[in-house]
Amino acid sequence: MVNIYFYIVEYFKYSPKIIQFLWALSAVFVLIIISLSIYLNHLRVRLRAKERIKAVYQKKYESDLIEYLYSGNEVDEISYEQQIIIDYLNKCAKSSLKRKIIISTLLKLKDEISGETSDAIQRLYCQTGLVHYASSKLKSKKWDVIAKGINELAQFEIKEAHNDVIEHIDHPKREVRKEIQMYSVKLFRFDGLEFLNILTTQLSEWDQIQLLEILQKFESQNMPDITKWLQSSNDSVVSFALKLAKIYNQYEAKEHIVALLNHSSQEIRIESITVLSNFGDIDTSVVLKNDFNQRSIEEQVAIFKMIEDLNDTSDIPFLLEHVNNSNFEIKVLATKILKELNNREDNNIRLITTDIEYSEKTGLIKAS
Amino acid sequence: MNNSKKIVLAEDNSILALLLKYKLEKEGYTLLMAKDGKEALELIELNIPDIILTDIMMPFVSGLEVISHVRNKLNLSIPIIVFSSSGQEEMVLNAFNIGATDFMSKPFSPNELIIRIKRILFNKTIFDKTW
Repeated sequence: MVNIYFYIVEYFKYSPKIIQFLWALSAVFVLIIISLSIYLNHLRVRLRAKERIKAVYQKKYESDLIEYLYSGNEVDEISYEQQIIIDYLNKCAKSSLKRKIIISTLLKLKDEISGETSDAIQRLYCQTGLVHYASSKLKSKKWDVIAKGINELAQFEIKEAHNDVIEHIDHPKREVRKEIQMYSVKLFRFDGLEFLNILTTQLSEWDQIQLLEILQKFESQNMPDITKWLQSSNDSVVSFALKLAKIYNQYEAKEHIVALLNHSSQEIRIESITVLSNFGDIDTSVVLKNDFNQRSIEEQVAIFKMIEDLNDTSDIPFLLEHVNNSNFEIKVLATKILKELNNREDNNIRLITTDIEYSEKTGLIKAS
Repeated sequence: MNNSKKIVLAEDNSILALLLKYKLEKEGYTLLMAKDGKEALELIELNIPDIILTDIMMPFVSGLEVISHVRNKLNLSIPIIVFSSSGQEEMVLNAFNIGATDFMSKPFSPNELIIRIKRILFNKTIFDKTW
């Protein structure tokens, strides 16, 4: 054994430098692999133990919750049995792990049921002091902690935290802002949109879609006054207000939408045209036709799309004027509307196009 | 009358299952609990319950497979109430096509579930007496 050791030492000593380096490197790798294996094994054992502990506590909290729900008396007072459970959960909530398990247990049931049982779970959340832990997260310096706190308050429908939550409405992190928007709309429905009054950061397209999706689920569709949002200095708020106007037919806001036809943002001008078209506002169509040439190509296309929906024979001269427009989309729309008018009104419209290639491509010009 | 009525409840959410168990037992029903579709099928074959309550999404065997097995393999006309979550509207339609009796969309009120069970069992009793 000693001989082998000396042989290895001698071999290493008299080997070329490169071989010595490679042996040393191999030894380092072997050591790393061994230590990593030990660490991973330790980690696995720890995680499994944690899972076991979690499963035990979860089972315990599940039965506590059921007992709490069934030991209540008819009047809204807390029974003796309920108070014991509240005190026990309050004590457990001091540990971060146990707190997480209690919250996940409450949510596991709250997400599946409605009615008085759901209200009782919400009450238990407040009685056990868990609401204070979530509220204290709002004071954290870490954005993810704030976002999680708001999310939890929204899930348990804690309306009382509104003032503390809304303070973060212009938080630099988009995730926090998104949670606040969801909190406001989920809990306060259309009234929750009041955050738009003070929002100075951008409301992304995805945020807008999510808000609209939540709003559509509510039975009551009483829309608050959107005119102040149409006049907002935040373009994303104006854009969202236009979407609301379109979906909920806010015809009373028409004057403010017409004013947006001269907004500094082209996107808002186009969206305004689309909304007015949706309202069936022929007066605007006349105004837009008059200053057609002063508008960008995108707006011109939007105007033609508007005329496509709202047209009559008085549009024919305007359409004929643009049959040979340099923009292909406008040209096609003009021809298409003329063809439709021709079929509907039984007019004899003769189209003269100088672009032979266009006529061949579209095959639309069949009016005589 | 209710004392003898057996209900198979197939639900993988342990706490919801526990809540419904207590609630329905309080109403006098006998509950046979299954945490997945496979266990539910075994309980159904073994006990022939009066009504089946099943979640649509479950491990191993789904709620749809449970309905299909009861209707096509066992040829039983036991009423089946399906629990669905939002976004599973297509699955609910499939459930009705293969023989579900009723459905409840989550989150649901346990009290409403009890009313539906009572109504379905009452209708079934009248139907059985008539025919």
